[in-house]
Amino acid sequence: MHDMETKLRKAAKDLLESGKVETVVGFQNGSLPLRTRPHFVRDASVADTLVWNRFCTNNLAAYLPRLFEKPASVRGQWSPPKIAVAAKGCDARSIIGLIKEHQVPRGSVVIIAMPCQGMVDPRKADAAAGEAVTDCHAGADGAFEVTTVSGRTRTLQRDQVVAEACLGCLHPAPAIADVKVEGPSQAPAAERFARAREFEAMAPAQRWELFLKEIAKCIRCYACRQACPNCYCKSCFIEQSKPNWAGAGDDPSDLLLFHIGRMFHQAGRCVECDACVRACPMHIDLRLFTQKLVKDVEELFGYVPGASLDDMPPLCAFQSDDSESFITHP
Amino acid sequence: MALGVISKEHLGKLIAAVSRTGRFLGPVDKGDGVCLTQVSAGDMLALDYVNFILPPKRMFFPRSEVIATHGSDGMTATPLPEGRVVLFGIRPCDVLSLVYLDKVFLDEKYADPYYRSRRDNAVIISLACRQPAPTCFCTSIKGSPAGKAGADILAVDIGDVLLLESVTATGEAFMAEYGKLLDKPSAEQVSSRQAQVAAADAKMARVSIDQATAKLRARFDAAAWDELTARCLGCGVCTFLCPTCHCFGLYDEQVGGQNRRVRAQDACAFPAFTLEASGHNPRTRQGMRMRHRMMHKFCYTAESFGEIFCVGCGRCIRSCPANLDIRETLTEVSK
Repeated sequence: MHDMETKLRKAAKDLLESGKVETVVGFQNGSLPLRTRPHFVRDASVADTLVWNRFCTNNLAAYLPRLFEKPASVRGQWSPPKIAVAAKGCDARSIIGLIKEHQVPRGSVVIIAMPCQGMVDPRKADAAAGEAVTDCHAGADGAFEVTTVSGRTRTLQRDQVVAEACLGCLHPAPAIADVKVEGPSQAPAAERFARAREFEAMAPAQRWELFLKEIAKCIRCYACRQACPNCYCKSCFIEQSKPNWAGAGDDPSDLLLFHIGRMFHQAGRCVECDACVRACPMHIDLRLFTQKLVKDVEELFGYVPGASLDDMPPLCAFQSDDSESFITHP
Repeated sequence: MALGVISKEHLGKLIAAVSRTGRFLGPVDKGDGVCLTQVSAGDMLALDYVNFILPPKRMFFPRSEVIATHGSDGMTATPLPEGRVVLFGIRPCDVLSLVYLDKVFLDEKYADPYYRSRRDNAVIISLACRQPAPTCFCTSIKGSPAGKAGADILAVDIGDVLLLESVTATGEAFMAEYGKLLDKPSAEQVSSRQAQVAAADAKMARVSIDQATAKLRARFDAAAWDELTARCLGCGVCTFLCPTCHCFGLYDEQVGGQNRRVRAQDACAFPAFTLEASGHNPRTRQGMRMRHRMMHKFCYTAESFGEIFCVGCGRCIRSCPANLDIRETLTEVSK
């Protein structure tokens, strides 16, 4: 891991010094235990502030549409900036999606491919340790040695500490790379749709009840939307006033409209990075719903978002034998 | 000032007694964190939490509320909320936030009737902190783990019992009303309270913000803002979780054939917050919006209300998806 950090800093320095990019997007140390934060390096002399460890959770692709947006002050021709991103498997999948949707110019983005062993979920670690974890190191056999706020140390197993999204990840190594940083990568998950299957097995009334219960927690802060690389609309339908699609308050019908609307817009696009899950301050179980969405798209249309630059997204393609089972049998 | 102790086991009796004439809200662990929730005598109260996920402002200034309905006979204002509500377990930082919100909503000329009614009906029993979180910094901004400002009664957890101290006349009357459920504290219990409060105080992170107001004013155009705001994702976590953020919008809606006017909390992090009818938006970039939030809290309110509208609860630090830390932002701009 430390070795990957050194290689990443070297790669960032080379890219900046050679003028191949203007900005390297990566991580720096955070202000809280088990946290890093997105970091924008524009000067090779501070490339060593980049870190790489098991806390690099944010999906950095979320910043790209904004970084590649033509400034309002520029008239006429504009050449986009050159930007490098330290990308895990999920970040890279999101970038592939953004390239296909013409939000990221392929020629302007440099993907520094970072193989991933699964990132730590601080909330999970706290819950497993029974109190706030202040320090966490990878130990032997994938386990973690943690220290808690009361000074105790203990060993937690991989599945007690690593984020759910990572435990179910099929693409830990980036599928696209301009600069490769070698390093260990976790084995792709064997079972990944367990929760979606449980959900499908429930009676429709139960499913609806569960959905309502989760959505009722929403305070409409839109952290899920803002943290999501796919949510780059200049104006989200939920905030539009002409026409006004939804009320502004926390009426259940308005909460439902937002979440159903956002989820449907993710069909064939969501890469299950769980940025929305991590961002939600109210701990809404969004993962259950995104997993169901991903499973449906994969089973109905054989499409895995962000796996390749070449295949056509299902919403852009029409085949006469497309499945329409969902239309008649919800 | 009245003092009394109540054993934790007997809190149920107090809840039952209060519930005969009003509502009792206390800390309940809902699995995703502890929330201020209406309880009845048999419910388990959580007493070892750091703080509620959501700030108590929502009890007085809800996320959204219908303030009027209108039909063919004109507009009808929603009746003011009535009935006594006892709020138990709010932390001292959050209680202080209500003192600041009062300055906004109980302005002499433009008092908000819904907010005022809820405030008048409330009895606030705050609970002193035992174990501050790494994100807590109340002692840097007028607060204390056992601060009294804004509370009617301050409760301190000293083991098996809670030591209650009245702060206001409302609190004293409440303690007299339920005097039968309270015992006199022993000298040992009083000194144990002091030790507990001092221990919590010593654990608190310190930030220097003395210069923040003046520096912010002077550094509105500083280049440092670009770097400081670059990672802001533009969500409303910090504003909706902030105990003092108080901006709202008014919206006319039609629901089920009924026309109604809704007041809902709003957030300066969102572009639509400043979008003008002409189509012009004075705060076009995310960095400008984040800067505005900092300016409002640490500069504008200090100038217009004489108070910095931050109580150091640390919610914005803990829940920011990009780990923006308001303490660092303040330190950086105050340089």
